[in-house]
Amino acid sequence: MDVIESSIGISGKEFKENFRHYESLVKDLKEKIGCAALGGGEERIKLHRSRNKMPVRKRIEALIDPETPFMEFSPLAAFNMYDNAAPGAGIVTGIGIVHNREMIIIANDATVKGGTYYPMTVKKHVRAQMIAMENNLPCIYLVDSGGAFLPMQDEVFPDREHFGRIFYNQARMSSLGIPQIAVVMGSCTAGGAYVPAMSDETVIVKDTGTIFLGGPPLVKAATGEEVSAEELGGADVHCRKSGVADHYANDDSEAISITRNIVENLNRPQKTYLDIVKPEEPLYDIKEIYGIIPKDPRKQFEVREIIARIVDGSKFHEFKALYGQTLVCGFARIIGYPAGILANNGVLFSESALKGTHFIEICCQRKIPLVFLQNITGFMVGKQYESGGIAKDGAKMVTAVACTQVPKFTVVIGGSFGAGNYGMCGRAYNPRQLWMWPNARISVMGGSQAAGVLLTVKRDQMWREGKELSDEEEKSIIAPILKKYEMEGSPYYSTARLWDDGIIDPVDTRMVLGLGISASLNAPIHHWQPGMFRM
Amino acid sequence: MINLEFNYEYNNHVYKITAERAKENDGYLITFNGVTYPVTSSEVKPGYLRIKLDDRVIKAVVAEGNKNMFVFLDGKTFNMKRVLPTSKRVEKGNGLVSPISGKVVNVKVKEGMSVKKDDVLMVIEAMKMEYLIKAPYDGVVKKIYLNVDEQIDMGMIPIKIEKTGG
Repeated sequence: MDVIESSIGISGKEFKENFRHYESLVKDLKEKIGCAALGGGEERIKLHRSRNKMPVRKRIEALIDPETPFMEFSPLAAFNMYDNAAPGAGIVTGIGIVHNREMIIIANDATVKGGTYYPMTVKKHVRAQMIAMENNLPCIYLVDSGGAFLPMQDEVFPDREHFGRIFYNQARMSSLGIPQIAVVMGSCTAGGAYVPAMSDETVIVKDTGTIFLGGPPLVKAATGEEVSAEELGGADVHCRKSGVADHYANDDSEAISITRNIVENLNRPQKTYLDIVKPEEPLYDIKEIYGIIPKDPRKQFEVREIIARIVDGSKFHEFKALYGQTLVCGFARIIGYPAGILANNGVLFSESALKGTHFIEICCQRKIPLVFLQNITGFMVGKQYESGGIAKDGAKMVTAVACTQVPKFTVVIGGSFGAGNYGMCGRAYNPRQLWMWPNARISVMGGSQAAGVLLTVKRDQMWREGKELSDEEEKSIIAPILKKYEMEGSPYYSTARLWDDGIIDPVDTRMVLGLGISASLNAPIHHWQPGMFRM
Repeated sequence: MINLEFNYEYNNHVYKITAERAKENDGYLITFNGVTYPVTSSEVKPGYLRIKLDDRVIKAVVAEGNKNMFVFLDGKTFNMKRVLPTSKRVEKGNGLVSPISGKVVNVKVKEGMSVKKDDVLMVIEAMKMEYLIKAPYDGVVKKIYLNVDEQIDMGMIPIKIEKTGG
């Protein structure tokens, strides 16, 4: 394959300035993630340990195969929400490798409000289950939770994607042959009791693990009966009498070794075949991306320079290089796995959308996973383009993206605006994972465009009433809109609400894409049947 | 049999070499300038090569830099560079043509000014992004057709430059 030749001057002033700026973005990201990883804080962790319980990340580390990566999802969930009372939304989710196969691990962090479920906790739990379903990955639940966060019951209990969905998903996945394993390492109260009860196989830890529909305080209030938690729903009760749990563990580490034994006996089917070759590092230092992304988001950058730093050997077989040049399409390898890459190099025109559609068709036909490198300010607007039918050409690309059956992955490497977000496989288009870089921005349109639209609407309205807007009034309309778009367009605002699966250091892009493709091979790739393409 | 092709740059000249695995031993048949040489080589320790070419034994040391490669041979140092096959870069069109419909937000030159190739002449804003109109060659600004805040259409040439020199 041909190699992308870089034409970036890494000793230039602009490169160095960009680099320094990006380093500060990454530093800020790492600090935020580090802070969230402390969960409920050192005091709480100390208390947790004093109960002979392992901290949540230690449990995961012990569960997965030694020296293997754990791909964590949304570590900054609930960031700046709920007065920052729920770092990481009190739950850790991700893909880990146990006995050489990828598993979804969903683990409560009891140091955060007793592991209770805030709205974002529910969303994060359900999202991890969705990744399990799409990729056919067994689920391991490390349960340590007091159930729903009662003060917010209206946002966690009644709706379709709320608490009940967790158990619905467990039943559906079990029926599809996706193993469900629960390890009770703390309380499992009320609704939470259904996590182990609905699992195929359940482990419970002596003393600390308890399962009951109503805890001792509720029992006392309801019937006057006084009972300890251990007597009511401890390991002895459930392993010897009730049969709610299957395996008895003396402590956390024994529970984990029993869980690994369970996984050893899952008899998982073969993974889907893909033409895999020996991985190669890119020719250029991946960290140079820091200097390529302009400090000023209005400045453009050559996306082939990014591709050159992400793909194996910087080798790229470009498709239709001379046509629809604002969308770069081509074949490459990421950690040895084949991938079809679509990357923005400017605003989308009709030709770029048609090219993208053609390229997606090829990848679907050949069953090659798709990677979208999203940096899109939208489809081109204006009289010339509307009359040229950009709406129907954009629709073709959106149709193709929506109907693909191959695993697809999105990384927002710059802007994500308007319908460009749809064509480039935004959240609504079900990429297996969607990651953001710390420089990313996301909103329906730019702040100044939105302000402009709203101002025009207001002006027209005043004009009909025979009035005019003063400069002051105009300013008072524009300023709050700009402020709102600035705040809500931030990747941290996005990741807190799970519009993505996490913000990553660009340096880790190869790794997350490689792991994502590898995990996706646990599910078959079906033949595609696209919807109608408006001609 | 697969032929491997290598291009090395030395003293501003690119040398093309093809290598083919020899059938009878672990060596290669290396073709350079139309002549094929049977060669065997072993790495004594990292970077130290012992090469057998016909009946001659050559000892060389290779040090790889970031982009270059230094070969120490017979008391001389050769600074070489591996030239990779590159994908055909899309040639950029005439830099004076506006790539997009938008608004002129900055005119960086005045009529009569001399400009150098790749100097930024005008900045256009469209779809939240800035597009630069750059000088395609050294020259003198003859005419500026558009001012700041004026609308520009895709394909328009907003500035006329008269070429100077060769």
